Amino acid sequence: MENSTQESHLRAENSVTYESPYPLYAMAFASPQTRTRHQHHRIAVGSFIEEYSNRVDILSFDPDTLSIKPNPTLSFDHPYPPTKLMFHPNPNALHKTNDVLASSGDYLRLWEVGDSTVEPIQVLNNSKTSEFCAPLTSFDWNDIEPRRIGTSSIDTTCTIWDIEKGVVETQLIAHDKEVYDIAWGEARVFASVSADGSVRIFDLRDKEHSTIIYESPQPDTPLLRLAWNKQDLRYMATILMDSNKVVILDIRSPTMPVAELERHRGSVNAIAWAPQSCRHICSAGDDTQALIWDLPTVAGPNGIDPMSMYSAGAEINQLQWSAAQPDWISIAFSNKMQLLKV
Amino acid sequence: MDELSPNTQSKNSAASSWRPGQLAFNPYFTQNEAANSKSQCLRVLVRRPFVARLTKDIVETYQVCNPQFKYSEELNPKRYLTTPSSGVLNDGYDNVNSDLILTVNFVLVNLDMQRRYIVKDVLGHGTFGQVAKCWVPQTNSFVAVKIIKNQPAYYQQALVEVSILTTLNRKYDPEDKHHIVRIYDYFVYHRHLCICFELLDTNLYELIKINHFRGLSLTIVQLFSKQILHGLALLKDAGIIHCDLKPENILLCTSIKPAEIKIIDFGSACMEDRTVYSYIQSRYYRSPEVLLGYQYTTSIDMWSFGCIVAELFLGLPLFPGASEFDLLRRMIEILGGQPPDYVLKEAKNTSKFFKCIRSVHNVENGEHSANRKSAYQALTEAEYEARELKRPSTGKEYFNHMKLEEIVTSYPYRKNLPKEDMVKETQIRLALVDFLRGLVEFDPAKRWSPFQASKHPFVTGEPFTHPYKPPSETPHMPVSQNIRVDHHPGGGHWFAAGLSPNIPGRNRVSIHSNPHFQVVPYAHANSYGSVGSHGSYNDGTGLGSSYGSYGDTSNMFAYYSPVGPSGMNMHAQGNVSMLGSSPDARRRIVQYSHGNGLGMSPSAGSFAPLPLGTSPSQFTPPNSYSQVSAGSPGHYGPTSPARGNCHGSPLGKMAAVSQFNRRKSWGYPGGSQTQESSSTHWQGQATDGTSSSQAEGNSQILGSSPSHLHLSSNAGSWKQQRGSSGISAGYLAQNMPASIAVGSPMKFPMTTGVAHEKAEANPSLPDPGDWDPNYSDELLLQEDGSDVSCLTAEFNQGMHLGSAETLVGSGRFNRVPNSSSGPSFQRQNGPIQSYPHVEVGSPPSTTEPLAGCARLSKPSHFMPHISQNSPSRLGQQYQRSNHGRSTNSRGNDWNHMKMQPPSPNFNSGGPHSPGNSSFSNGMSWGHRASHPVTSIPPASRGRKDYGRIS
Repeated sequence: MENSTQESHLRAENSVTYESPYPLYAMAFASPQTRTRHQHHRIAVGSFIEEYSNRVDILSFDPDTLSIKPNPTLSFDHPYPPTKLMFHPNPNALHKTNDVLASSGDYLRLWEVGDSTVEPIQVLNNSKTSEFCAPLTSFDWNDIEPRRIGTSSIDTTCTIWDIEKGVVETQLIAHDKEVYDIAWGEARVFASVSADGSVRIFDLRDKEHSTIIYESPQPDTPLLRLAWNKQDLRYMATILMDSNKVVILDIRSPTMPVAELERHRGSVNAIAWAPQSCRHICSAGDDTQALIWDLPTVAGPNGIDPMSMYSAGAEINQLQWSAAQPDWISIAFSNKMQLLKV
Repeated sequence: MDELSPNTQSKNSAASSWRPGQLAFNPYFTQNEAANSKSQCLRVLVRRPFVARLTKDIVETYQVCNPQFKYSEELNPKRYLTTPSSGVLNDGYDNVNSDLILTVNFVLVNLDMQRRYIVKDVLGHGTFGQVAKCWVPQTNSFVAVKIIKNQPAYYQQALVEVSILTTLNRKYDPEDKHHIVRIYDYFVYHRHLCICFELLDTNLYELIKINHFRGLSLTIVQLFSKQILHGLALLKDAGIIHCDLKPENILLCTSIKPAEIKIIDFGSACMEDRTVYSYIQSRYYRSPEVLLGYQYTTSIDMWSFGCIVAELFLGLPLFPGASEFDLLRRMIEILGGQPPDYVLKEAKNTSKFFKCIRSVHNVENGEHSANRKSAYQALTEAEYEARELKRPSTGKEYFNHMKLEEIVTSYPYRKNLPKEDMVKETQIRLALVDFLRGLVEFDPAKRWSPFQASKHPFVTGEPFTHPYKPPSETPHMPVSQNIRVDHHPGGGHWFAAGLSPNIPGRNRVSIHSNPHFQVVPYAHANSYGSVGSHGSYNDGTGLGSSYGSYGDTSNMFAYYSPVGPSGMNMHAQGNVSMLGSSPDARRRIVQYSHGNGLGMSPSAGSFAPLPLGTSPSQFTPPNSYSQVSAGSPGHYGPTSPARGNCHGSPLGKMAAVSQFNRRKSWGYPGGSQTQESSSTHWQGQATDGTSSSQAEGNSQILGSSPSHLHLSSNAGSWKQQRGSSGISAGYLAQNMPASIAVGSPMKFPMTTGVAHEKAEANPSLPDPGDWDPNYSDELLLQEDGSDVSCLTAEFNQGMHLGSAETLVGSGRFNRVPNSSSGPSFQRQNGPIQSYPHVEVGSPPSTTEPLAGCARLSKPSHFMPHISQNSPSRLGQQYQRSNHGRSTNSRGNDWNHMKMQPPSPNFNSGGPHSPGNSSFSNGMSWGHRASHPVTSIPPASRGRKDYGRIS
């Protein structure tokens, strides 16, 4: 094991911090394909400002120089704090030369991110009234079928958009209460979590039914986030509101979590599976810590300890572990975004 | 410092090639309390995390960002739990079936208790209404709430269940030790009676299904048997007949206790001394005496119990009769022997299934010598067909052996059973055979009581060495009364008339029905016309006639037809189940049919008895008794031979019929009115659409009685549909029309018929031989969770995530996954099904029920409700206004004043006011007039229903 001096040394080389003028929440890496065109990695960050007008900034990360640079010409206004940002998983499929970025908030919006400008492509709004709006809490881009984006809304529904046609493919009343997150497993299968405390799996081929694979022990304890293990679709992870637990689910054994990771000392705010390993997951929370867990085959009697940890300077609000840069975990706390090498 | 260093873990992670290094991250160490508590203290969070502010609190957050931001929960698409989901009745609250339209998070409120029930899901539905799983915030618990249709008949019947269960719970089983479902609460919400029960789990049918229709282990069968016997012993003590005991009505408890079960659905139950209905019990579990139309006692539940025990062991029903003829044939074949001559001699339907091969005279003489050969011989299929002009439907044989002993002993053993266990199991199987023999015993007098059965070695676990000789039952014997009763009052009459009892149903029907049905639509005329006596007269016709002339069954029919709505419902459901296509379809149908039949009957009987702890007076019926007899009999006059009977044998089955009369009369001081009302009733239903003015005054009385009629009618239709041999075409004809009048029923029969055929065609029932005996039902003993998970697991395996096709959600609940490969028997309703009792007649007389209830708990409360409820759902409500004719009934007057229904019902004479008169007991209520009853029409709330989003 490294001694402490080595540690600090290593840490200096293995983390990069970007400081923003405003608090950050949403965060996204551009997909691996785009890297080849830009030489650096693009990272989009969204502000959390309690005003109508918020900002989305496009940053460039150069892993060689460990530098993060903002692109002022690529910053743009966003109504409300974006609840999620995501780059097109495979922009080449669009026959476009530019990146496409999606954001959720009051509506789902698509933006074309060029070399020097960002142009709104469209606003996808399924609301029947202009007076009222049911905000989107999250969305997920289907990387197998990139024309599909699924959004989750507090109106209890999930809406599946065909973004190429700009139309709603389907809208499902997914839950009994607000839906807080959504994640695709396959081209036609997605899961969602809700204020009703359940994790449900949907198959677009049978919209009448869903499968509940988990319900929070106290009815109606909201589940805030959901992460589907892309390396092993049997597993997904979810977090409960105001809870220090990360609940790991095996969809083959519904109801009973396969593991509950309880080493955070504050509520968990974000989770992300390792893009290159089916057994590793990172979680981050109000205890300012990001923990990396290696899921054992058998849990010990005292629960599972994480394999490693990182302490940030403040409550960590966001965590991304992107396939575009599997060696880097990005976290957001206060007005900083930090990239951590793993 | 790290308990689990990365190195340690790496051993486990051999499978994964990639591992995070220790670059930006440090090895995890268990944090020091002191150091941490400091840092923790520093992190007092003033604001919630962003993730919460952009999910749970997103509306607030966005409103801070933009004060103009508006979100309306009202606009959210609703997930409907009730279909159809369009509100067309009861100010948009009810669908066309009079079911309350439920959506997720719909709140049912017991205003008296200020208790809220938040609907989370629907557990099942039936003709009676729906059963919802509800969250009770006050108690932090889930309950099952049965939400009864907004129709007087169902309402009334449901009250019976309330009264019986309340009595059973409080008086007989205060400590909840007898495996009877607990009733927690009941109230009226938007004109729907809501009954709150403890939430239970899977029913035994589902359990067997989960096990792929393989039998359960003997240990579990014994465990369940013991518990059911506990419950049945209690019922016997209370003098209550469940009347619909079957695996679907026995549910696993959610408690941690292993395999604890409870008996549910007392919607068909009746008091032993008020056995009103003859068409009861689900077919597979129907006792021979009920099938034959003989008087019955709590021992019919023991028959059903025997069938259940056998089914638990075999995984398939012991007597899966496709028709009554088929059912009887199977009993005779499997058990050997046949019902005793004393039963056959008296039973109303004997001629449908048996021919007399010796003179009755001989039979009577023969009674002295027990060993004498029977005077009756079962009809062959050909004979039956010749007699009934209809081929009896027969079902598939599921067992290779036809004798009970062989079926049980040769049932495949579990694979890999050690020798010793094999020997042991063989012994226990012999005990089981002996046990079953005492339960599925043709002679109700010899059939074991719950007490006797509970001492059997199979239950006690003692070694079985010789055939069991039960201890003599301490004679409670309320039965004796009944025994004397002349079941066939009607029969007697017919004889007198020179009619042979053997006359096929249809003939009878026509006779009966004529007065009834035909008249019915225009009942008014009749009733009015025969003023003075008219009231009674009509009644006589309707009720009386049916009695006298027909056997119970026939009566049933007559009644049924009027019931349009109920009929419909049943059918519908029937269909649904049928869709399952599995062989089971039949069962389902049966169930429903029963439901109807059952439901209805009990109410009449049961109420009266209410001795159950409640004071009879509260119930409407009680008064009537005495009155009834007095009033009605005379009136009947020529038309109804029956009435004579009624009088004579109040207790008998016929008595049941007679009860109707009684009821009617009860309400009224003046007999005539009552009757009228009843007649109106019918009309109302028939017409449906029209509002009945007439009914009002009378209605109260009628309320109760009419409903019965209806019910019965349903039953009638059922039979037809089922094609039960018993019923002849004639019936159909009659029934049909009736139903037609009502509304849509027609189509149902059709459908059902079809479905039925399908079902039969289906070879889906697994042959026991095919089953894999290698299963472990130990699982079943585990908490249900495990079962569920097993299932789900199975289910999930089916769907490979990897493949595109895989994830097909099966029902929302895990338990539901129909992955079970076996034959898909589907019983429609979930665990909690009760049957609907169709009662048409009585108006939403919530009052009545309430009253009944009231006495149970808190009388006064109800009043207000009542008023609201009173308007009957169809819009025809009505109420009890008396048209001039009912001079004296103060009850009526009272009603008038208070109960004006929102709808324009009052026309007194309007010939078509079908109305269901909602009131059932005008009279009784009358005295309650003092209570402030305001009729508050439910404010129509603007509903914003968004269609389903697909």
